Formats: sequence, structure tokens, C-alpha cells
Amino acid sequence: MIRHLILEDGTTFEGLGFGAPATTFGEIIFHTAMTGYQEIITDPIYDGQMIVFSMPVVGAAGIHAEAYESVKPMIRGMIVHDLAEVSVNRQRRMNLDRFLKQHNIPGLYQVDTRKLIRHLRETGPQKATIVDYADDHAVDQLVATVLTNKQVQNTATSKPYANPGRGRHIVVIDFGLKHGILRMLGDYDANVSVLPYTTSVDEVLTLDPDGVILSTGPGDPRSLPESVLTLIRVLQTKTPLLGIGLGHELFALANDATLVPLPSEHHGMNHPIQEIISKQIFYAMQGQGYAVDETLLDRKKLFVTYRDLVDGAVQGLRHRDYPAFSVQFFPDAAPGPYEATAVFADFFETVEDYVEHHS
Amino acid sequence: MTNKEVLDTASLQRALTRITYEIIERNKGGRNLVLVGIKTRGEYLAHRIADRLEQLEGVQIPVMAIDITNFRDDQPDHHENLGLNEAEKLNISEQNIVLIDDVLFTGRTIRAALDALIHIGRPKTISLAVLVDRGHRELPIRADFVGKNIPTAQNEKIKVFVQEIDGKDSVEILH
Repeated sequence: MIRHLILEDGTTFEGLGFGAPATTFGEIIFHTAMTGYQEIITDPIYDGQMIVFSMPVVGAAGIHAEAYESVKPMIRGMIVHDLAEVSVNRQRRMNLDRFLKQHNIPGLYQVDTRKLIRHLRETGPQKATIVDYADDHAVDQLVATVLTNKQVQNTATSKPYANPGRGRHIVVIDFGLKHGILRMLGDYDANVSVLPYTTSVDEVLTLDPDGVILSTGPGDPRSLPESVLTLIRVLQTKTPLLGIGLGHELFALANDATLVPLPSEHHGMNHPIQEIISKQIFYAMQGQGYAVDETLLDRKKLFVTYRDLVDGAVQGLRHRDYPAFSVQFFPDAAPGPYEATAVFADFFETVEDYVEHHS
Repeated sequence: MTNKEVLDTASLQRALTRITYEIIERNKGGRNLVLVGIKTRGEYLAHRIADRLEQLEGVQIPVMAIDITNFRDDQPDHHENLGLNEAEKLNISEQNIVLIDDVLFTGRTIRAALDALIHIGRPKTISLAVLVDRGHRELPIRADFVGKNIPTAQNEKIKVFVQEIDGKDSVEILH
């Protein structure tokens, strides 16, 4: 069935509907990853967004039990050039189309995604809707729609829970945690406590963690309450701390950095990133709408450790006084190249060093 | 005799990177910092750390290499000769020294290095960075910055390889 994508600036694209026949609203972005569509659509960082894939055919790997980044996808729509109907599920004939139907998410295929992505590169992200009829009424509806900025509240856990292991005790502050981080911590047999971002300093310190991770998450970090920044400012002085994605942005804000929206967002895994200290270049998954403004960085507190070689955007920071550091990219390789997973090795070596000196 | 690799190239380089970050953390930006490498491999490690500091901070930290042979306590006629000419001797008075060696074992090499340093000046502080701490100390000496703690048996050997002279970066245990 022919359906339509309408952008806030009035541009419309035609395609064939797949997934649920629902009408949804969201912020439209494009993703250039050539693998990992299931991880991408289930990653909580894309809560409330519509994703255009530059990958020409999506769905050819089916839906895998091991490729969930959260149990329930939170995207509002998926726009692809072509759709493959493949199932690898032993229990159900579950392909991408059925998966989206089950979660009431609409998809659009046979769309000229190259034209759409070129357009979005010019305009940046904007509101969009997937509808049956692209009439004036649909456009009015879109213009009148106010998108939520409560994505973190929407995706993060409201209750603490444990992911037990026999190794070091790591507290994860959840801002919309993806499974990849827990999977990596599992590789180190970490004993993990996941806490809501509303947790108090006392509650964290009572657990006596060997290290703290600030998780990835969706949305604008500047919309979170000041209490989060206060929590980070205390925790970074107490234990080794690693911020990832939104966690990196919050770590930066807590240390007086300024965030600016990127004119062209990074969603993909094709940007070379340089580790400044070793001059080594590697690739990692990125999902980034904001970047730390390096010119306004307080160099007495933070210094830059990684940089994007395409547009120079800051990709990592480190505190000058504490074993606290952060990365903008996603080192959990879910999906993405495995070469960035060394960030977790760095973190656990820092934790071992800390335990050695404080026991 | 079997060899077992305990640090590969990437891990060795990561260990040096972490030591560098920790040096920044504890020295507040590298003011009055001098790196002193103990020959042979400590010298190369010192240069690597200096390169890393320069990458990050854009400042060149002075590096000096010392040969402690003549300060060893098992040399009966040690004559306090550093093996450095005057131009190679940096002024270390009132400086914060980071002494760098590949392996920390009995602590006797470090004691000799401390003697050698104090022979040429009066540093403000001396701290110690080692790539590997293998235990079995015979003197009250500990490292401030450790790349990797590797518990060993007394009769095992730890061999550090560095790219500059050994053609590879690696740490192996021989037993």
C-alpha cells in the first residue's frame, strides 16, 4: 500500500508501507551504518525518532535473539530503500516487517533514500510523520504536534536492579541504557547495580562501587535536572568513572563544558576517530546530535582525548584531577567495529589500579 | 623453558597511555616535570611517555636516561659515575622526577637509581613508574604508577620487549 512521509518543511516522499499501518510523529534522522539495523531500532537512544537507513537493503539478517539493545523498540518509524523478508527465528516466522507490526511501528520502503538523506543533510533533523494521505490536514497535524523532550524519563529504569557477577562492583547510572554496555560488563564478570538517574549520592556510595558508568541515553542532555550534574561532580571524585554517549555529554556539562547541536548529526560507524595520545585511528559506532564545544572547554578541568577526523568533533574527555573519563562514541560494538571495546579495558584497568590503592 | 605472552602490543601501549594519564592527574599539568628512564628499556619507555604528554598537552617534557651500573650494591668498586657527560645531565634540582623502568622486582635497581639521581641534584619529588611490577621486593620500595601487576614465582623471568630495540612491543614470562 502506498503511504507517505511528510517533513515539517513540507517535503513529502512516497513509498510502500510495511510494519504497522499506524500514523506516527517523530524527529527524523538518517543512519549510515551498513550493518546492525536491529540493534539500531532497539537502541533506546532513538526513542521517539524516525530513522532513514542509507543501507540499500534492510532486513536481510532477520530478527536475532542476540541483537536486541532493549526488549522493546522505541523508534517511531523506519524508512528504507528496499526491504528483505528473512526470518531466523525458531519459534515464530519473525522478520523485520512482522517485528515492526508487533510493536506498532510503521515502516516505509521503496523510498528514494538517497534524495531524502541529501535533503536531511541540508536541513538537519526535523519533525516528520508517516501517513496514508499526504494532504493539507496531515501537514497541519504535523506542524501542530509538539514532540516530547522526556526521552530519558521514557526509557531509563525507574527502579534499581542488579546484574550480578563475581568480579568488580560497577554501578551503572541509567539514562536509557542499551544492552551492549551490560554485555561488555558481563565480559569482565562485573557485579553490576543499575540505578535510576534520580539516585542520590548517598545511595550510590552506600553500595561502595569499584567504579561508576554513566550510560548512553536519548535526547538533549541539557533537559535533565541539575541534580544529575551534582551527582556526577561528587562521584567523579570518589571512584573511577566512565561516561558513554549521553553519559559523556553529562560528564562534560558537570565540568562546565558547553554543548552545541551538530549541524550534521553523526549516526553511523564510518567516521575515523583518533585517540590523541597514541595517534591511533579507529572506527566506532556513533549516535550523536550534540558535541562538546572545544573552544569553551575549561582546560584546567578537562582535556580532549579523542577527536572525530571528519569534522573535528570532540569524541572523548578526561578529567585532569580524577580517574574520570568519557567517550562520545559507543565502545560496546553493538553494533559496530570491535576495535573501540578497548575503552572498557581502560576502564577496568583503572578500576584495578584504584582498588589496589584504596584497599 | 616456555614463553607466555602476558602483555601484547595493544595492552602494552594501553598501559603506557594509562600511566601517562595518571602522571597528568598527579602532577597537575606537568609543571617542572622531568622523566628519567633507567637504561636500557626504561629510556625508551620514558620517551614514549614524553611523546604521549606532548600529543596531549603540546609541551615537551625533558627526558634523561641514566645508567645505574656504577651505583649497584653488588659492584664492589662502584665509583659513582653516571655514564653521562655534562651536557646530558639535566638540572633536576627542585624538579618533579618520574623515574621510569620496565620491570620492578627486588627494588635494588631503583635504590641505585635514587642514589644516582641524588648524586646529581636535589629533586623536589621522585616518583616511580614501571611497566610491570612482578613482586618479590627486597627493599622498602613501591611504584606510584604501574602498567600491570604480574605475580610471579621467584625463579621465573619477565622479559620486556620494546619496538625500538627488540622489534616488537610485548611482555613475556619465561619459566
